[in-house]
Amino acid sequence: MTEPYAVPVPKGYRVGGWEVRAPIATGAFGSVYEARRVGDEGSGLPRTAALKFLPTGTGTPRQLTHLRELVDREVELHRRLRRPRLVRMYETLVVDDPARPGLDGATVLVLEKAEGSLSALLSAVPRPAGGTALIAQICEGLVQLHRAGWVHGDLKPANVLLMSDGSVRLADFNMAAELEGTHAYTPAFSTPDYTPPELLWSEIGERGRRIRPSADVWAFGVLAHLVLTGSFPLPGGTPTARRDAAAAYARGTEELRLSPELPEAWREIVRACLTRTHAERIGTDALSRRVAAATGKGTGTVASVLPRRARSRRLALAAAAATAAVAALGYGITVRGDGGGPGPGVPGAGSTATNVSAASYGARELRTDKGVPAAYRLLIVETAHDCDRKEVSPPLIAAMLKVESDFDPDLSDPAEDEYGIARWTPKVLRWWMNEDGTPGETVPEPPFPPAESIPAMGRYLCWITPRLDAGLPGDRRVLIAVAYRTSYDKVNDAGGVPPKYRDYADRVAHHLKEYTPPGRT
Amino acid sequence: MYSIIVVPPPTTEDERTRTQFRLAPGERLPFGRSVPEGGLLIGHDGVSRRAGEITAHGVFWTLSNLSAHQTYVVENPEGAGEHIKVAPGRLDAPVPFEFSRIVLPAAGDLLPLEVWAPRHDYLRAEDGTDGEPTAPAFSVDRTKRYFAVLAALCEPRLRGTPHAPLPTVEQVVERLRPGWPAASRTSVQWNIDYLAVKLRLKPGPETAEAGTRLNGKKESLVAMALRFDLVREDDLVVLSAPPRRVIR
Repeated sequence: MTEPYAVPVPKGYRVGGWEVRAPIATGAFGSVYEARRVGDEGSGLPRTAALKFLPTGTGTPRQLTHLRELVDREVELHRRLRRPRLVRMYETLVVDDPARPGLDGATVLVLEKAEGSLSALLSAVPRPAGGTALIAQICEGLVQLHRAGWVHGDLKPANVLLMSDGSVRLADFNMAAELEGTHAYTPAFSTPDYTPPELLWSEIGERGRRIRPSADVWAFGVLAHLVLTGSFPLPGGTPTARRDAAAAYARGTEELRLSPELPEAWREIVRACLTRTHAERIGTDALSRRVAAATGKGTGTVASVLPRRARSRRLALAAAAATAAVAALGYGITVRGDGGGPGPGVPGAGSTATNVSAASYGARELRTDKGVPAAYRLLIVETAHDCDRKEVSPPLIAAMLKVESDFDPDLSDPAEDEYGIARWTPKVLRWWMNEDGTPGETVPEPPFPPAESIPAMGRYLCWITPRLDAGLPGDRRVLIAVAYRTSYDKVNDAGGVPPKYRDYADRVAHHLKEYTPPGRT
Repeated sequence: MYSIIVVPPPTTEDERTRTQFRLAPGERLPFGRSVPEGGLLIGHDGVSRRAGEITAHGVFWTLSNLSAHQTYVVENPEGAGEHIKVAPGRLDAPVPFEFSRIVLPAAGDLLPLEVWAPRHDYLRAEDGTDGEPTAPAFSVDRTKRYFAVLAALCEPRLRGTPHAPLPTVEQVVERLRPGWPAASRTSVQWNIDYLAVKLRLKPGPETAEAGTRLNGKKESLVAMALRFDLVREDDLVVLSAPPRRVIR
């Protein structure tokens, strides 16, 4: 029924604005190829992407009625959800090529291209260091998915992608389902090693299998144990033996014996995920707090000024380079060297890693000799990276912070109702304060520390960027800054920088130039 | 979460309502003339007090023969005579069949004890390139009679209109008889019931009357089989040949 089905696509094949390059993987439902963008149509798209070909055409040798449903689930999730820890879908295409019946009618998902998957990373020997940072990011992905009301349904290493910057994205949403109350219905597929005991041989109705978010939490527990110890939490040499062990454990006839290699801080977390029943299992929000606490341990005092996301990103970079993040200042930040670095899936193999301090973090993108305070470099650079608009760059954010507050984290201007390093107005910040894009439940009250202010600013800038009319005169980055100060509507209406904000715009432009390293624009 | 089902031998009074024992992996079921509570009592003088024990594993089960002198035979009813023998005193002999009949010799009688292992797995996705495969929840054996029954039920919708009426049990019997001369209403009905267990059909809300329940069960089986491609048009060849000789 689900033999692996390769969709053969020749190298150089054109679909939409993409040219197919090397194959990446073939799964049960289709094949994934690397692709590069040709031509300039669809600007805003990256230069390379991963193209997932799903044989939905009528001429394909294999007719699967449920494939359409699986494809629809994935597309629906991508259309409705865009979160930092979920892989991005740029567009969907349908192949129109009657000359190739095997390809004609295939659905093509254009996805963010990853460097490799966690599955490949786990097979690397020795086991990479910094696994906790990866786990923390996987947990963030789950939180983003569950808060939005979705269940992944097939969380496993092959569906956790590693990006070139070492960060993590959850992928493969064929089994994902939107919650209806406490349950969701997913197609009746699963991967035995990551399936909670209550779903082993569970009843299946015509709408599919009923699952809860707690199924993802179980899978997360298995994954965390696997990443940190290299072994599955339940004993057995085959998935079938482990499935029986899971069933025996759930019945209460066996105890859970976690690997002695599992660090103490993680034992309780894994235990809280791998409970016998779904009702005892820890909720996703509580889980994320525990994971954050466990990940934060030993990172020094600086960690406390960083938001959770930036902190784990930093550790992820360390993980990617497979070296410990240790430095005298407690700023130990390890980044991968320039260029390609280690090969995909085996970060650190080539060991092009360099150890840099906070004072030179992101030096390629943000000058180190022009007075941007070292304490904020990481936040500025990572905030810019979280936005996939090239205009929202580290120099732009730094220039704006300079003009808004001269990098004063304690700025308080009650007359204008603006506070903190980014001069946020509380009732505006409310809409941008949460990483997952949901508004705050109440209007926040100052102080607004940089760890909140700067990422929120990045999210707002990222939202503004596509809303500014094309063809406005002047530097688009400066227009974005002005729109932050006033609104994108006012900038569009004025057909550029409104006269009142010329001085502001000039100052941003000045610092933008000042902070941009030579040779970059 | 059960994986093994034990159906006790029929007794005259409750032939229609035999209690099934559903065992989860690791669970044991002792059987005999005098067994502890929770065991399977076989009230026949020719059976040992402690005759034996069935232990469930995930996809298979083991049989311990606790009798002093009797050899037990475990038959595969669809296996054309295929069987294994479990000698007296043998402990935990693994049984590989999906359907089994343990025949207990009892003072001239032969008592059949049926054991089903519906969790057998069959070849499926090995998306070998990257990690573990995502597996479908169902695994069916296309050489078994239940598959022929399922195919016969699905046939009108696979060949004709999506809403074609389902065949009646009698029509299924007629359809299967060329390849399965012994097919009867009872055996087809047995296979439909087994499919509901095998595919873990959720009991629908319509459990009021016997007639509608049966219809609902067939409807649900067909809907699920078509939705998850358990039976496709290619599979209808099982209807034109003796099920046993289908080449997989």
